[in-house]
Amino acid sequence: MIAAVLAPVLAPYDPLSQDLRRALEGPGGDHWLGTDYLGRDVLSRLIFGARVAIQASLQTVAIALIVGVPLGLFAAYRSGWWDRVLMRLLDVADSIPGLVLAFAIIAVLGPGLTSAMIAVSIIFAMNYMRLSRALALGEREKLYIDAARVSGLTERNVLFRQMLPNMAGPLIVQSTIYMGTALLIEAALSFLGLGLDIGAPSWGGMLSGATQWQNQQPFLPWPPGLAITLTVLAYNLLGDGLRDALAGEGSIRGIRERRQARRLSSRPAASAAEIDGPQAERIALSIRGLSVAFPTDTGIVTVVDDVSLDVRRGEMLGLVGESGSGKTMTGRAALGLVPIPGLVTAGSVRVDGQEVVGSSEAELNNLRGGSISMIFQDPLVALSPVHTIGRQLTQAIRNHDHDLNASAVQDRAVELLEMVGIAEARTRLRDYPHQFSGGMAQRVVIAIALAGQPSVLIADEPTTALDVTTQRQVLDVLADLKDRLGMAVVLITHDLGVVADACDRAAVMYAGQIIEEGTVDEIFKEPRHPYTSALLAAVPTSAGGSGRLPTIPGRVPPMDALPTGCRFAPRCLHRRDVCKMGPIELTTGSRCIREDELSLPGTTPVLRKKS
Amino acid sequence: MGIVPQLALVSVAIFLLTYLIPGSPAAVLLGPRATPEGIAELEERLGLDQPLVVQFVEWVGGVLRGDLGTSWFGNKPVTKVISEHLLPTISLTVGGILVAILLGMSAGIVAALRPGALLDRIVGLGTATGLAVPSFWLGVILLGYLAVQLGWFPVLSWTPPSQDVGLWLRGLVLPSIAVGIAGSAVIARHTRSAMLETLAAPYVQTLRAMGTPRRTIVARYAIKNTMVPILSVIAFQLSTLIAASFVVEQVFTIPGIGTQLINAVARKDVPVVQGITLVVAAAVIMIYLLADIGYALLNPRARPQ
Ligand code: SF4
Repeated sequence: MIAAVLAPVLAPYDPLSQDLRRALEGPGGDHWLGTDYLGRDVLSRLIFGARVAIQASLQTVAIALIVGVPLGLFAAYRSGWWDRVLMRLLDVADSIPGLVLAFAIIAVLGPGLTSAMIAVSIIFAMNYMRLSRALALGEREKLYIDAARVSGLTERNVLFRQMLPNMAGPLIVQSTIYMGTALLIEAALSFLGLGLDIGAPSWGGMLSGATQWQNQQPFLPWPPGLAITLTVLAYNLLGDGLRDALAGEGSIRGIRERRQARRLSSRPAASAAEIDGPQAERIALSIRGLSVAFPTDTGIVTVVDDVSLDVRRGEMLGLVGESGSGKTMTGRAALGLVPIPGLVTAGSVRVDGQEVVGSSEAELNNLRGGSISMIFQDPLVALSPVHTIGRQLTQAIRNHDHDLNASAVQDRAVELLEMVGIAEARTRLRDYPHQFSGGMAQRVVIAIALAGQPSVLIADEPTTALDVTTQRQVLDVLADLKDRLGMAVVLITHDLGVVADACDRAAVMYAGQIIEEGTVDEIFKEPRHPYTSALLAAVPTSAGGSGRLPTIPGRVPPMDALPTGCRFAPRCLHRRDVCKMGPIELTTGSRCIREDELSLPGTTPVLRKKS
Repeated sequence: MGIVPQLALVSVAIFLLTYLIPGSPAAVLLGPRATPEGIAELEERLGLDQPLVVQFVEWVGGVLRGDLGTSWFGNKPVTKVISEHLLPTISLTVGGILVAILLGMSAGIVAALRPGALLDRIVGLGTATGLAVPSFWLGVILLGYLAVQLGWFPVLSWTPPSQDVGLWLRGLVLPSIAVGIAGSAVIARHTRSAMLETLAAPYVQTLRAMGTPRRTIVARYAIKNTMVPILSVIAFQLSTLIAASFVVEQVFTIPGIGTQLINAVARKDVPVVQGITLVVAAAVIMIYLLADIGYALLNPRARPQ
């Protein structure tokens, strides 16, 4: 840019002055970048060429903006007939590549940059129209436009005062890209001799001259080529930079923070050995002192803090909590599936006595599906949309049974589908996920999870995305399978109704910690933590009501700004000064310092009749 | 929009181009020393004295019969001009898009597998550069160094396949790279982001939770899911790639449609320019149509039940 403006000052030689005696020199003292076939100074021509290039790209984009954006706004604002006409024009513009249109225009109007670049700007304008139309339609959805209309601003005011500033970001980013494209087209035209007069300094023209003399002076194509590349690169990087700046933070958290977090992580705690007694056989999943942390801009945030749990075969444990309580992360950590950049920073997870924390990916792949499986919230997105469910079921079977032949795998797949209650299983194997209803899809997901005969199943909100009747059916399938296969099931949910319905025991999580644990009866009838009691109070007691959690005043504290002392204190009705003194331990099943003094109201777990 | 009305609109636009010529095309053709009689005679011969509507109807009628008119130079039918030079152009375009797809998709996938890692950054830098390098300059450099100096590839890039298939393929390598690099950069960027999105999708979590090795997830599941959005990117690249191949033909002296078009542009041979532009537009529309069909094949939700 600067070079373009200052060209006459910067250039050491007149770009047109020839010196045939010094033609085709390499780079050297007098001519830093050498000379061309007429002995003209390459550097000087390069600097003057920058003017042509940058002028052409700026003009093209400016014209396109001036024409395209108002048209797009107009189309969006008027919609209807005008919109349709403009969109048809867009289709036409789409089918002729910009360069080809430029050729056609030059054929008609004669060589010259201006007319050709105007042709290119028409194509760009069409795309600006598309972009600004889409943006404007998006903006229009937003309330404030309606508000502005009501408050009596004129139409033009609405368009230009309110929409444009919000659309500026994407338009600017697109413009930097088009400036690059325009420059490339200008260079191509000059290269072909269809742009400016051959003698005038332009990068494409220089390149064209350079090719003819490449054998004598192989350096000649480099300066103009690099000049084009670097300028376009600069435009594009500018665009990328702007886009990132507009999008706010970068998409990937710093690697340094991740390393820092890893340094904190320890090998599994030795405490896992405690349960290696005779009763250990019945315990399928044992979590000890598990902590999971995520690096953030403000430091490392621990989202699961010192969680311990045991789940026996044939038992269903409800893991209850509001969103953000760390219940899902606990479940994922049990399979070694903590998403990047999170890390298990302490503790141990044992599945059938085998350690998960610190295992290699290959070891984990053996465990996953084979010893422990997990199903996720929304069944309709939990299956690959472009593969048949047969394919996905087969994959799950083969992951743990490598030498089964094709027909045996097929039979097993049918058996699994029948087990979860899907009719006409054999034909349905050929169906795609979108051909299943939510409840049926969730059954398929369960069948897939069971393919490797795991002893532990983690079900993360398996019924939340389903309607009430289907919820019940899916819970019944889970309970039935748990009994028949003797699995340990962890049911992650925010719905106490579901817990009462299906679980034997429950653990309540708050702000990354387990705050109370016990049998469903104990927890419902005699809660020992004020949070549990408050949750129960928020559940409608009438039969059939599906209790949704939070009608407790206040909010879960952000994990990077936890209160010292009891984490529930800001919302607790029974708070005393003693509660805020320091961290509270999970003692005999409750993490409340006043556990013994308080007698908290509970409720009777309303067991719905199985259908 | 259906392809028929779209083609119709495009042909109207292309036809009207002729009428942007300042003054009479015949006068332009005959040059500054033309006599009025000469101009009138030529206008009559070229049918330019007819009213606009008549000319248009005739042109469209011709197009429908597969007749794109006759070159103003040498009386050759435009369809013949095109068909004689179609093979080099198609070879180069197919070569270019293959380079773009293979290079772009693999780079995009590799980058997405470990976001933020060294390879990802190299791909990021590579795509930024690839987008900025003019294809014809890349052609000049490749030809100058790899073919002329090192002799790894034939200096004469075009050999008809009927003459020597091996030489035909070898000659196409460098021009295809020159044509395909920019497209590969775009495809790589889109593949990377589509792949990242796929790998974060819930169904990938399901696959992981049942112990599917990462390699299998990427190779058998993620790539197919990623292809769905990438298909339209490829179709769009193909249309820009056709234009790029026209310029690159000049560098490698490949006797394709681009050469014909540029010659025609230089001597204002309007029927040839119109014919080629129309054929290119038709090809682009067909490419989009094929992309739509491919989309339905890849994506079961888009299939009629
Ligand atoms: S420790 Fe105190 S603040 Fe915390 S739950 Fe118990 S009574 Fe409430």
